[in-house]
Amino acid sequence: MCDLFALSASRSYTAATSLPLFAVRGRKNVHGWGIGFFHRRSPVVEKSGEKVFTDGRLHGSFQRLARVVNSPIIVAHIRYKSSGRVDECHAHPFTLDFWNQSWVFAHNGKAPAIEPYSSRLEPRLEAKSDSARILEFLRDFFVEAESRRSRTPFILILKDALRRLLREYPGEYNFLLTNGRVLWAFTNHRQFLLLKGSSKLEDALLLTTIDEGLSSENWKKIVAGPGSGGRILLIAGGDLLCLENLE
Amino acid sequence: MCELFAMSGSQRYTAQEYLPPFADRSRDNISGWGIGFFRDGQVVIEKSQEEVFSGDQIHDSFNRLARVIDSRIILSHIRCPKSGHRKESHAQPLADEFLDHHWLFIFTGESSNLMAYQSPRPLVPEPLLAARVFECVRDGMESGLADQPRQSLYQVLARTCKRMLAQYPGEYMFFLANETVLFTFHNHSQVLTYHDPKARGDLLILTTVTGGLTSHPENWCSFAQQDPQRGQILIISGADLLYLGHL
Repeated sequence: MCDLFALSASRSYTAATSLPLFAVRGRKNVHGWGIGFFHRRSPVVEKSGEKVFTDGRLHGSFQRLARVVNSPIIVAHIRYKSSGRVDECHAHPFTLDFWNQSWVFAHNGKAPAIEPYSSRLEPRLEAKSDSARILEFLRDFFVEAESRRSRTPFILILKDALRRLLREYPGEYNFLLTNGRVLWAFTNHRQFLLLKGSSKLEDALLLTTIDEGLSSENWKKIVAGPGSGGRILLIAGGDLLCLENLE
Repeated sequence: MCELFAMSGSQRYTAQEYLPPFADRSRDNISGWGIGFFRDGQVVIEKSQEEVFSGDQIHDSFNRLARVIDSRIILSHIRCPKSGHRKESHAQPLADEFLDHHWLFIFTGESSNLMAYQSPRPLVPEPLLAARVFECVRDGMESGLADQPRQSLYQVLARTCKRMLAQYPGEYMFFLANETVLFTFHNHSQVLTYHDPKARGDLLILTTVTGGLTSHPENWCSFAQQDPQRGQILIISGADLLYLGHL
């Protein structure tokens, strides 16, 4: 199973401590890795189809990027493939634009039902995997809903999109979606662990799917309870702004 | 009644097209004005006890500041004669640092009881309702998060506002912003929002001025609140209304 990581802060941060820990604790994921962030409003993604951890050592580029990437929001993914080939193109994060914003997206889970999804919009992502189709589905839904943008809160449109996604393409969805200012997270399987104000890692808000978190501190576990369609997190500036159930 | 203005963008913008009409349409409020914004994560405030509009002209400094200030978030307040003495220290925005952020705050409304609120950490010693409301909100959020640190900021703000309405009934409308996110709360009247078409949907304007700040009031969305026992909270980042919650 893949794993996800995100850092959010009110100013630019490097994740020089927590990103290597994330890679070490997620080293069973052997099919690639990626780091996404924003530089002057433009998304930047560095990714690879290689193992993040081999022969007891972190991938050299991953380690260097962890030291260097400096951004208020950083997203990372380490992959254990459930769909698509093992190569750089299928590694996460992916990026697409909607609402005049660029979005960075990473997913964990199995959703084979969405693999045949065919977007009617361009561009389409090159990767042939459920994760790529999920981002296209979300992009298409938000483009269709753009006329509602001025009156309707983003979270309501996201909830509508997720309800349709789960109804038409049932599956396991843990994902991160960010425009560089705010970070949305959704989970309907496994969990997210959240920590703010770490004394051992970066003093930012940290989020991961790794079961035990990235330190021995008091991580908040966020799971979709029985009867819940999933949980939605809205994070910005190092704060958990909202935590909602998808009814 | 005082009038409120906010601008939120996905990058730094000036409010030069909107602040002058804001002053023009609030010209009956003659007891001072203020503009607040963020620079490098710090709060900057320029304010005056002078009339924002006198004779046929907008206050010279207000006009110049409107052209020059650029920020992702700008708040402005024009003060009505009912708000007490004309002193620069009574003009808004007010500012404080708490919960790891610098915050700007502007308020309009009435509450006879809340003037008696005694904060352990008063912002200003003078009898100023806006200061008492800000103190009440800040103290409530700080103690709420100290008691339950795993709450979201929306939850803690909603609980604080609910308690304030129960203990100090009145009419409240405030904008509260840090460098990333703008929260608004109101239990009376309306907040109007407008997406600037020239900024390609990148800029959101908010105001309390009836009819909005352009020649086409029909292009403004109204978030009206009829029941003073309740209230609504908007969460905005960049040009997006992220969340709308009803107490």
